[in-house]
Amino acid sequence: MIKRLIIDGAYYLQTSKAYQAKKVFFYNLLENNQYKYKKYVDIFMVTLIFISVAVLIREVKHEVPDYLRFFSSYVVSIIFFIEYILRLWINSSVTSIIVQQADHNSFLSQDLSLFKVLKKILYVKLKYIFSIRAIIDLLAVLPFFHELRLLRVFILFRIFKLFRYARSFQMLIGVLQSKKFEFITLGVFASIVIFVSSILIYVMEANNTSSAINTLFEAVYWSIVTISTVGYGDVTPVTTEGRVVAMLVITAGIAVLAFTTSLVVSAFTEKLDEIKEVKTIEDINKLKRFYLVCGYESVAKEVTRKLLLQDSDIIVLDIDPLRIENARNDGLTVLPYDPGSIESYKKLNIDIKKQVKAILCLREDDVQNVYTALTVRSLDKDIFILSLLINDVNRKKLLFAGINNLVYPQELVGLMTKEFIGKPVAFEVIHELRSESNNVNIAEIAVTERIVENYPIVGEFGNKNFRVIILGVYKHTSDRFLFNPIDSTFLEVGDYIIAIGYDVFIKEFENHLDTKAKNG
Amino acid sequence: MDKKSALIFGFNKYAFEIVQNVKDTYQEVFLYSNNKNDLEDETYDAEYFDLSDDWSSIENSIDTESSVVFCVLADSAENIFLTISLREYFPKLSIIAIASNKENATKLSLAGANKVIPVVETTADIITNILQLPISNKVLHSILFEENDLKIAQIKIDEHCNIKDEEILSIDWSRYKGIIVLSLMHEDMKSEFIYSSKAKNHILTSGDTLVVVGYKNDIQEFRKYIRNRE
Repeated sequence: MIKRLIIDGAYYLQTSKAYQAKKVFFYNLLENNQYKYKKYVDIFMVTLIFISVAVLIREVKHEVPDYLRFFSSYVVSIIFFIEYILRLWINSSVTSIIVQQADHNSFLSQDLSLFKVLKKILYVKLKYIFSIRAIIDLLAVLPFFHELRLLRVFILFRIFKLFRYARSFQMLIGVLQSKKFEFITLGVFASIVIFVSSILIYVMEANNTSSAINTLFEAVYWSIVTISTVGYGDVTPVTTEGRVVAMLVITAGIAVLAFTTSLVVSAFTEKLDEIKEVKTIEDINKLKRFYLVCGYESVAKEVTRKLLLQDSDIIVLDIDPLRIENARNDGLTVLPYDPGSIESYKKLNIDIKKQVKAILCLREDDVQNVYTALTVRSLDKDIFILSLLINDVNRKKLLFAGINNLVYPQELVGLMTKEFIGKPVAFEVIHELRSESNNVNIAEIAVTERIVENYPIVGEFGNKNFRVIILGVYKHTSDRFLFNPIDSTFLEVGDYIIAIGYDVFIKEFENHLDTKAKNG
Repeated sequence: MDKKSALIFGFNKYAFEIVQNVKDTYQEVFLYSNNKNDLEDETYDAEYFDLSDDWSSIENSIDTESSVVFCVLADSAENIFLTISLREYFPKLSIIAIASNKENATKLSLAGANKVIPVVETTADIITNILQLPISNKVLHSILFEENDLKIAQIKIDEHCNIKDEEILSIDWSRYKGIIVLSLMHEDMKSEFIYSSKAKNHILTSGDTLVVVGYKNDIQEFRKYIRNRE
């Protein structure tokens, strides 16, 4: 009966959307660094820690108001306790252990062994409870019993909780952990030196009445102070033998210090690229909309330069060290990832649909561009992909790979030469409109509700006063371009006004379209 | 069209695209390669040339003053050398050259090319336009390159022109419904957009060129109208 209830309960919770949503919510809040609200929880917790420590310091020589003491001891402790319980809950899933075991047993036509399930649950939960982080969390709760004076010192354990909230601390630990073996070796070496030198100095000095080293504790203290090269000078050997030991310990101390420094430096050097990469990915995740440029060669260099001039955000993916270096020198955010690998996009951890404006396959190699396009298409069916076409015979393959727009430079040159010969002046005018070298530009002004309200028909624009030419209006609903529209042409939200003029005049014209209602 | 022959130096995709696009415009199109192996190609008939100063065969067979030369060699340095060599020998020749980057574009201009197409920059312009201004890009592409009624045209102001000697701002351009006057090129070959502050006080003189956009029929009407002074 109990067994049945447990299994049913586990299945219910496992399939309950509300329960799972709550668990995911708390997981995001406490553990998911990508979750936008986590940083507020972190800031809140860090503030509580600092308040507790401030109260502890104040208490040493001053009277602290009761409400502050109450807040530090009880309120903060309760909050930390709730956090502890939540972490214990989200750390592993009891229901999924029961469900998995029940499924396993039912598949083998066996009865569910409650003992086995309980053992598994206890194992995962205890594993968490005895982890360093969980122990620190628990110790930080102990000041709740602040009447026991000794337990008040546990407030200091709250400081260790900072490691949980500051990612740079976690990174530091990660870096040092990568040299675990070397640090253990160093620790063993330093311990042996301290141990041997302590005994030696004790043997040499303890019976000398003028020596400050009278006990083994003083000998150990002297050894540590000396080996660390701190050398307070409060405890010094007076016998010749003792001084010989001191010289040996000082030499060993220099070796230990040099070894430690080189270990830390090499650990950071080795991990520096990884640290930078993690930081870059974090920054990318904060971007709202950006262009993803796959491959950095000559056209990509020029395209990114032009997009940067228009304040667009750009991320470059490439695996060639030289091209990566070039992109970095051009001030771009580059990740050394293969744009043709799904793994790269998983590492990037971005929402392609929401964050990426367009994927630009700009390798000067059709094979690579097809490969990238297929990879991206397998992740998102709708994202706009533009690619360079290097060899016309590959056109169909690139289109088949799902590329929305192809740019074939050779064809472009062919078309340009034809037009240039026929109408050189007209051609130059259009070329100027398209290029950045001239202040005269073509602009697409999106028709908003406000513009429709202010200027329902083209005739009311007053564009001539702003020296702006209206080349036409793109009607969104009918997907038509109305060239040189007549004055009575109605505007609808979603339409685009295509305007030509000097940059400053166009901006003023846009402001004018937006501000009539304000004035009225 | 006052040019009769097109001479294309280069045996590559750029050259082939140019052949495709200009073959109907010129009476004769000649393709030249500096690689003898290319002469065996069955798709394109090419003639051999080397980068020495012997242009006598071209000089004897083609009227270079009514020809256009396209320098599209794959090697940038050779392309510049070819341009300078042609310019030295044929001062009145129209030379159009392609450049892989801005630096080469400058060198080609200094070498004497009348028009340089910077391939990378132009491609990047088109890509940026597709991304940032998709509608206008489509419209401009259609006006320039596609077969439809909306066209761009250049109209020269001559002695008999209706609007000659008029101040540019005094003309009510709205009289010419249907077309948009985009730009004005002065006789001194400096182009100004029609609404720019510099061009507004300009008095239209013989030799100026107007760049207009409009439907084929409207452009024809406009041409007729401004020339109908009598």
